[in-house]
Amino acid sequence: MSDVTQEATATQTTGRQGPVKARSGGRTWARTGLLVIVLFWCLFPFFWLIMTSLKLGDRALNSPDLFQGPFGLDNYASVFEQNFHLNLRNSLAIAGMTTIICIVIGSLAGYALARLPMKRKILLLSGVLAVSLFPPVALVPPLYEAWRTLGLLNTWEGLYLPYTAFTLPLTIFILTAFYASIPRELEEAARVDGATPFQAFYKVIFPLAAPGVFAAAIIIFVTAWNEFLLANTFAPRNPEIAQTVPVAIAAFTGQVEFQRPVGIITAACVVVVIPMIIVALLFQRRIVAGLTSGGLKG
Amino acid sequence: MADTPVAPARSVEPAGPDQSSVRAGGFSERTLARLFIAPSIILMALVALFPVVYAFILSLNEYTRRQHVGFAGLQNYADALTDGRFWESLRFTLVFTVTSVGAEFLIGLGFALIMNQAFRGRGITRAAILIPWVIPTVIAAQMWFFMFNVTPGFINNVFGLGNFNWLGQQGWATFAVIFADVWKTSPFVALLLLAGLQTIPGDLYESAMTDGANALQRLWYITLPLLRPAILVALLFRTVEALRVYDLPQVMTGGAFNTESLSILVQQYVVRTPNPGYGAALSTLSFVIILGVGLVFVSMLGRQLVIGRTTER
Repeated sequence: MSDVTQEATATQTTGRQGPVKARSGGRTWARTGLLVIVLFWCLFPFFWLIMTSLKLGDRALNSPDLFQGPFGLDNYASVFEQNFHLNLRNSLAIAGMTTIICIVIGSLAGYALARLPMKRKILLLSGVLAVSLFPPVALVPPLYEAWRTLGLLNTWEGLYLPYTAFTLPLTIFILTAFYASIPRELEEAARVDGATPFQAFYKVIFPLAAPGVFAAAIIIFVTAWNEFLLANTFAPRNPEIAQTVPVAIAAFTGQVEFQRPVGIITAACVVVVIPMIIVALLFQRRIVAGLTSGGLKG
Repeated sequence: MADTPVAPARSVEPAGPDQSSVRAGGFSERTLARLFIAPSIILMALVALFPVVYAFILSLNEYTRRQHVGFAGLQNYADALTDGRFWESLRFTLVFTVTSVGAEFLIGLGFALIMNQAFRGRGITRAAILIPWVIPTVIAAQMWFFMFNVTPGFINNVFGLGNFNWLGQQGWATFAVIFADVWKTSPFVALLLLAGLQTIPGDLYESAMTDGANALQRLWYITLPLLRPAILVALLFRTVEALRVYDLPQVMTGGAFNTESLSILVQQYVVRTPNPGYGAALSTLSFVIILGVGLVFVSMLGRQLVIGRTTER
């Protein structure tokens, strides 16, 4: 920004276009060049991951040289022999349920907080903020006992219920911000035309908040998909039932006990990472808007 | 938060003549507000608040391998506070939190400044920066486990360190875990700070430049003060997250070599050596510590954190 103006004034006053332009062009390149550091930091480990997942045989896998062959897809075949597709199914179902419940319940709450008259609104928001500070580990012993009594260990419900409770505060913050950003006049116009408050919500406001809802949905899905502590405690085994993707990736065993199978683990990681990278690239703007507008969570 | 009013499910019936009733036939706005907020509060109360209370009750009882023996009073807490393992895991958790959040802030700020001043390639970098955030922490942990591990020994090879055993000795194991966390979350911090940087008006820098301020002075006197809210919010959420750390040390070291975090310790007493009473005492202590730190941050941020969200936008 400042460079452009500098350049403009320089050309105007001195009229010497050549050197000035060349210098600021060089600076532009230097600035772009710095981005390479950021790109390298974010992307290089994935290059390592993909190369390693394609290596075959102990000799290649145990070599630090990234280009030490032979290469092939056998590791990927082994991943699915260990029922990884069932883990993917469980994670999709659990993260999907979390997302649906959170969006439905959270958009109601977000709308109420952004728009409707309510007593003790600040107290409520503080309560929601406090729940977002809860450490999940505080739930591990009591929920384990409760789930054991209720028979919810090793079930989808046993995981998506706590996930919903934990992502709800974030959902409410994101959606409250989005609802609050929709002009109030639209609602009032709907009222004048004879809509009830509920009709004004679901016919006028909800559709307009769709981009925000979508951003929130992605963030909730990713959070639930990545969760490890509760998943590893409440459903540590059995891909056929409820073991999720992160638990499976942490638990892959090789032929020799106590030795982690590099090839299989990296291949499983690639299987998970590629679609997630695509989603991140496609919906980059929406995700960033969601993360920065309504509070945030790593 | 204990006094968060659990919205009463009453007055669900057709709205009577309420003061704020807008139309007959639909719900009044106040009733609608209660109806809309109720499911969220009920769910959070049942699955987040109730267990915390239940944990406290469990912690007052004595168990032998899940068999209830009797009332124990505060014995479990006395045991926990005299257990060296508890203090050891608390120490690791605090060291991890302070160093990783500090490093993430510095690197994240650097990245944000780099991205903010670039003309070209900003879009693609912002997309790339999301990638470490979006992947599961377990995958990051496995990736860095193998990169640090003696075989295949990628990092040792790059730096010519031979068979240096990063993950198999005290100190360096902690370093490896912190490094993996910094790799994964610095880009995320950068994203938050970049959003803050973009709200700073450019003419502030221009007038500072005409006044002869150099780059460092501009950073110190303009950027950082104006970035303060974004910095505080980022630090709050990163600190609370870091105090919960479980995935990285669990996968990279299994908690060996003094890398056992509070979360790992609590989880041990639930699954591996089950003791609901002692486990619940440890979880209650962790809860108090972590929530306490969070509340200190929130009170530093003031009410703007809560109120700003709803009124500004």
